Amino acid sequence: MAEHKEDHEEHGEHAHIGIPGYLVVFGILVVGTIVTYAVALLDLDSKLFPGANTLVALLIAFFKMTCVVLYFMHVRWQSKLIWLTALAGFFWMAIMFAFTMQDYLTRGSGTFTN
Amino acid sequence: MSTHDHYHPPGLQHQFEDMKQQEESVSIGMWMFLVQEIMFFGGMFTVYLVFRSRYPMAFAAGSNHLDAFWGGLNTLVLIVSSLTMALTVYYAQKGNRNMQVILIILTMFFGSVFLGVKAIEYTDKYNHGLIPFSNWNKKTPAEGEKKTEHSGIVLPFETKAEAAEGKNEAHPYHNPTGTFQWDDKEGEKIITEAQQKGYLTNAEKIGYFTNGELDKEKIRGKVQIFYWIYFVMTGLHGLHMIIGLGIMAWLLWKAWLGTYSAEYYSPVEMSGLYWHFVDIVWIFLFPLLYLLGRHFLAGGH
Amino acid sequence: MQNVDAINAGNFEEPKTNYLNNGFTLKSWLLTKDHKRIAIMYLLTVSAFFLMGGVYASLIRLELLTPQSDLLESGTYNRVFTQHGVIMVFLFLIPAIPAILGNFLLPLMIGAKDLALPRINLLSLYIYWVGGILVLFAMMQGGVDTGWTFYTPYSTTFSNSYVMLTGLGIFINGFSSILTGLNFIVTIHTMRAPGMTWFRMPLFVWAHYATSLVMLLGTPVIAITILLLAIERVAKIGIFDPAIGGDPILFQHLFWFYSHPAVYIMILPGMGVISELISNFSRKKIFGYEFIAFSSIAIAVFGFLVWGHHMFVSGQSIYAGLVFSFLTMVVAVPSAIKVFNWSATLYKGQISYETPMLYALFFIGLFLIGGLTGLFLGSIGLTVHLTDTYFIVAHFHYVMVGGQVLAYMGGLHYWWSKMTGKMYSEFWGKISAMLVFVGFNLTFFPQFILGYMGMPRRYASYPPELQVLNIFSTAGASILGIGLILPVIYLTYSIFFGEKASANPYMHPGLEWRTSSPPPTENFEEMPIVTWEAYEFGEENGLDIEEAKRRELAKV
Repeated sequence: MAEHKEDHEEHGEHAHIGIPGYLVVFGILVVGTIVTYAVALLDLDSKLFPGANTLVALLIAFFKMTCVVLYFMHVRWQSKLIWLTALAGFFWMAIMFAFTMQDYLTRGSGTFTN
Repeated sequence: MSTHDHYHPPGLQHQFEDMKQQEESVSIGMWMFLVQEIMFFGGMFTVYLVFRSRYPMAFAAGSNHLDAFWGGLNTLVLIVSSLTMALTVYYAQKGNRNMQVILIILTMFFGSVFLGVKAIEYTDKYNHGLIPFSNWNKKTPAEGEKKTEHSGIVLPFETKAEAAEGKNEAHPYHNPTGTFQWDDKEGEKIITEAQQKGYLTNAEKIGYFTNGELDKEKIRGKVQIFYWIYFVMTGLHGLHMIIGLGIMAWLLWKAWLGTYSAEYYSPVEMSGLYWHFVDIVWIFLFPLLYLLGRHFLAGGH
Repeated sequence: MQNVDAINAGNFEEPKTNYLNNGFTLKSWLLTKDHKRIAIMYLLTVSAFFLMGGVYASLIRLELLTPQSDLLESGTYNRVFTQHGVIMVFLFLIPAIPAILGNFLLPLMIGAKDLALPRINLLSLYIYWVGGILVLFAMMQGGVDTGWTFYTPYSTTFSNSYVMLTGLGIFINGFSSILTGLNFIVTIHTMRAPGMTWFRMPLFVWAHYATSLVMLLGTPVIAITILLLAIERVAKIGIFDPAIGGDPILFQHLFWFYSHPAVYIMILPGMGVISELISNFSRKKIFGYEFIAFSSIAIAVFGFLVWGHHMFVSGQSIYAGLVFSFLTMVVAVPSAIKVFNWSATLYKGQISYETPMLYALFFIGLFLIGGLTGLFLGSIGLTVHLTDTYFIVAHFHYVMVGGQVLAYMGGLHYWWSKMTGKMYSEFWGKISAMLVFVGFNLTFFPQFILGYMGMPRRYASYPPELQVLNIFSTAGASILGIGLILPVIYLTYSIFFGEKASANPYMHPGLEWRTSSPPPTENFEEMPIVTWEAYEFGEENGLDIEEAKRRELAKV
């Protein structure tokens, strides 16, 4: 299999972060959840800018997701193809969001009747 | 390079030359499947995005009636189950059968706890007339003793009873046909405040008011959309959890038989990927559904 | 020295068992993991659905023979054209080339023993069957009348036809498509034979890679969309319902997010087939290999960014319309690149006009017309005049039938010898290809004119002054019908009475021709090692056609 050797170079056998590492990631996720909860009680929308609450919540969620994907799902030690796949999924979802919203956000106010 | 001549590792399928090729194929396949899942939920998130950007205040009002305590607890439960799943893979790689079995059972346990909590929440919504589908709520006849209550808004660190005492809107009501109920003073307050501050979107300016007056009927429709999205998203997520439990049951059986070893453990790893993915979906669902309007209330206290 | 194999191509020792005679029981077919057997089962089912869709098409054409709605009343007519669309799009066009030819040839072309995930492959066949049966069942109950697009709120609130059942069928069927795409991607990544680098892969494989990407990324969205539609129908209330502030246009966004790329699921594999046919029957290395390969990927990517051109007049914002219109023009570029490269490949090639090549040449012409009229429809001004007229019907039939179906027929003829081990009748093949071409143009060219004159689609009746062109169209449909039924007859005949095919009857260099016809279950006697580029017709490869002819004569 001459071809996929190159994909395989970085793939160490049974790469992971060991039990202490898993526990650390777990801790981060728990803290992240609590922070999400706590931040939601603060009125960032008025203090910072409208939508700040949602933005912070999403940033934390992204951070948590990254931890899960990299360490629990072992992507950190995977081939470039897997990295690309994981990113492509989100990129494509972003395309769907962007191209749908480019319609909704550019409609005249008059078209919002129901 | 025929596979028939030499040593045939356990679990190697006929179309592959060696374990490495098989593992790589299976892993790419699983990730492609997850991409597919991302797009599946992505369609739902698009729906969420479109409607939330239209009716943010109705979403905030609706979200306040979800129980953030249960939602947060469920997030933690799922994270624990993710940890046990990750450890299952770890012990599968070590070929440790007993730890695998224990951890899979733990994962299934936490998965079931999640679904149990979900059932509690759904029941609560059913009792309080918050299921957005036509006449799917608890039917309380106009006559007789059987009355049900609106749920008061439950703030964090506050029990239901306290919430009901503190606010007056927890009053009994009749719902003979089981329609969607929405009669929330707090929500109207949020909308009025937002109107004064000039936060309302164009759609909201039309969508909540009739002749400049707040229109309860109209607001109910928008909140109903929020609940519709809530039920479909959490329902689909729950469905994935149930499928995940099925996979875990199968995995438990295989692990019990001692199928997996340092040489061959990719089914465990692939099931783990699926489980983690479902966890990730919830990591997003929790803040996007449960925590939208909390700060409006917390600010007022 | 695998190259030498080609020189002996005709003289392979026939293996005792090939995939067809390796087990005759029903179980050996239904539980097979062999991609070739699965492809044959797909072939049978897809052909049945094609026939069914064709029957509906002929009903439509018969009704439109006269201006009045006399053969079918309008309600029935709605169901007939919807069934035609649903069956043709979801059960024929989408699986046709990938599930039949792709399934059969992909592992052969890259030198693999099977697809990477054979059980998943079988599963996707079963899913396809279940989905198909549900659609059929709905059809027998009375069918569905929403149009194949299931636009809300008609489909959610008002239609009394079998929307749920058909929707469920399509929902399930979608997973067949997803799993096929997933399988192809994995296979192309991990199962290539030694020496089969990415840029030695036949363009058919590249096209299937691109198609698979679209299947994988697009199909889940139609699944969730149909699910939402179903929930709304059951719950009698929902997010597409304007009464509570919902949005029917959101359905169109979600629907076309899949269904526009689905057009590329239908045409991309066809382009892959045509690349094979043009290069091989010109006996010349394809011109601009990399350009064709990457244009497939580009089409797959850009195809996702243009869905709004189905919604120009349905209420999306003008700004969105502009963006989608511009990107629609952009996506035409990679398609044009392919056509240029095919033409350049023909230049100074040793062209021979076997049946598959006839189909390929017809494809180029018809696809050109179909594609260019697509640009008319993609321009935001002109489209207001042409939307929902017969112009658009003609346009997408030029792409779908003139493109995909012709490519499918060409590919089926080309690889028929590989699939069955028998040669079809070249004479009848050519006759039927000509009939298809003439019949097709006679059917659909008048529809361009009809559409431009303003005849709306999806109506059972029309003003009498449009009758002449409609008669032309119906007459053409009859010829097209004969042209498409003939292959059923002579191909079936060839299975039983056809001349035995050699391993490489056309003396072509592809890897699929370097194994016996039909191939053994494991595809190759020993794992091939690829040392040549794609479409390498050098004499050193033993593909000298003169030599082959001499040998052929010597045999007689």
